[in-house]
Amino acid sequence: MEEYQRHCDEVGFNAEEAHNIVKECIDGVLGGEDYDHTNINQWTASIVEQSLAHLVKLGKAYKYIVTCAVVQRSAYGFHTANSCFWDTTSDGTCTIRWENRTMNCIVNVFAIAIVL
Amino acid sequence: MSDIAKDRTGHSLKNMGSASSLSRKELHGCIKGSLSAVSYVDEPSQRDVASRLTVQMENTYQLGPSKHFPVAIVNHILKDVLTNSLQEEQYEPELCRQMTKTISEVIKAQVKALLVPRYKLIVMVYIGQLSGQSILVGSRCLWNPKSDNFASYVFRNSSLFALATVYAVYFE
Repeated sequence: MEEYQRHCDEVGFNAEEAHNIVKECIDGVLGGEDYDHTNINQWTASIVEQSLAHLVKLGKAYKYIVTCAVVQRSAYGFHTANSCFWDTTSDGTCTIRWENRTMNCIVNVFAIAIVL
Repeated sequence: MSDIAKDRTGHSLKNMGSASSLSRKELHGCIKGSLSAVSYVDEPSQRDVASRLTVQMENTYQLGPSKHFPVAIVNHILKDVLTNSLQEEQYEPELCRQMTKTISEVIKAQVKALLVPRYKLIVMVYIGQLSGQSILVGSRCLWNPKSDNFASYVFRNSSLFALATVYAVYFE
């Protein structure tokens, strides 16, 4: 068991897999919807919870942090940056940008390895 | 000989994202030296994997953190950094793009200076123009709530808003 887990950590975080998983979640929740102030709480909660559930199903020894920012599309600017202090060989991050006619969505996934 | 070992382990503890910094703190529990460089690394380096294979961690026999993450102090740090950097500023695209990166680097350096042992840090900064548009930021974390925590602060002035969040995850 211990050796199996170590093997997973040597490969590192698979950003592409996470990217696909989260993109599907966002498409499922926000696809075809317009920005709606009353539902936005529910949508961000579902995106984040579904992404987390799918990531956990991968069965890897990671702690996850999933952040979702949904902004109404307007002429106005928005910036985001992140800075991390961790072990780059085992931990990783993935950022997914999604947009439609009325809103922009940025989801960040951080995965921190657990050493068993 | 010990220096080479320290180099190898220090090398593997790098930062990703908007800034990178080299520190030998993690293994020996005290600051040896700290060097910051803003390099905007996007992809993890593949050669780190080979060098990491030689490092083995010994069992600490600790069940939890000896010192917990001080949320209130970090909230103050976030408030100070955001207020001092952005109080007088107007929203400008180039300025704010640079500001987000430097603010996240500054916050990370100050939180590291608290010397909370065995914690990994993630700092997120959002800056946007105040214009009546709506924004919602949500996050969910899968971690151990007894040892892991987060701190956040929102700053507003006449033309912009800034949100800074620090997540602290206990290592093992």
